[in-house]
Amino acid sequence: MAKKRRGLIGALDRRFHFMDYVEKEVFDHPVPPRLNFMYCFGGITFFLFCLLVITGILMAAYYVPSTEAAYATVEYLQFEVTGGSLIRGIHHWSANLMILFIFLHMIRIVITGSYKNPMEFHWVSGVFLFLLTLGFGFTGYLLPWNMRAYWASKVGIGMASTIPTIGDFIANVVRGGEPLGALTLSRFFATHVIYLPILTMFFLGVHFWMIRRTGVAEPL
Amino acid sequence: MEHDNGRRTFCKLGLAGIGTVFGLSALGGGAVFLGSPALTNRTEGQWIEVGSKDDFSEDTFSQVILEFSIQDGWAYSETRMLAYVRRKGDELIALSAVCTHLGCNVRFEEDRGEFVCPCHAGVYDMEGKNIAGPPPAPLSRLPVKVEDDVVFVFNKQEEEEHHG
Repeated sequence: MAKKRRGLIGALDRRFHFMDYVEKEVFDHPVPPRLNFMYCFGGITFFLFCLLVITGILMAAYYVPSTEAAYATVEYLQFEVTGGSLIRGIHHWSANLMILFIFLHMIRIVITGSYKNPMEFHWVSGVFLFLLTLGFGFTGYLLPWNMRAYWASKVGIGMASTIPTIGDFIANVVRGGEPLGALTLSRFFATHVIYLPILTMFFLGVHFWMIRRTGVAEPL
Repeated sequence: MEHDNGRRTFCKLGLAGIGTVFGLSALGGGAVFLGSPALTNRTEGQWIEVGSKDDFSEDTFSQVILEFSIQDGWAYSETRMLAYVRRKGDELIALSAVCTHLGCNVRFEEDRGEFVCPCHAGVYDMEGKNIAGPPPAPLSRLPVKVEDDVVFVFNKQEEEEHHG
């Protein structure tokens, strides 16, 4: 039954026998009939996430998360580096569109009732992914260290501090102490480029694995 | 399972094509973005004042330190460059102290009348010519000018003078 495959793929396949699996899982993977474009919103969200990862990794070569340097490095990246405004622009727009497409994805899931048994945990993991995305947005917004970034974080953290009893403690943890300053910038940076990406990849893996196991819900 | 193989091939090729275009765009864009400073981050040469004409003698090289600021990525930083200057007839000669072997600073040994590199014992004569050891080329000449007896040395070697 195994097809004769030529070239490098063939040579690898004769040794490691993976192409039958790829054919079955990718090219022959059955999906319900009558799927429409609204079933693409999740995939588009993931595509935007990939764009964010690529452009983010590129920008990491220039950005410095310190209160003295952050603004200067972003300015340099934006105005002096060839393609800098494009890379940063793609990051900016992908981030905004990702929120939009998460909403569209969630609306589609609600309309088609796709969160119901056996897919409750898809929804749960998706809510985690949504919250992680908001976390990316909040932490990334501070990084240019301009007025808008500073005051947006001031206000955002201020909301946390209105929680009765523990609010001030939470705000101090988020800021890394009393002032919104050097430590805040460092921890927002670490959260934006290390902690959240690791968590997000875990939940993405779970999300995708589950949809593979149950299949896509039948359209209405 | 029966497949419409024409359609499947079309889809596979289409996906491969789109993937190639996207992949190459990302690679190319990323290379330009990361390579940009290598092509653009160049500071123009500058004339640096090093003393008056009488400070330099005919028989020995005097060490001068060129201090100037360079663009250092998103910042500016002060940097220092070592050079040697001596008088030759009516003219002045300035040599960069950077060894042409691997870039250490050479030092002028007055008693021998030679430059010696401390790293791998390269030797240059009073003209800056490489005469012993590993250096593959003479010390580079730096342009010098005198204005009202004040001596200026250019901080880039002669081939690049037209930039300045």
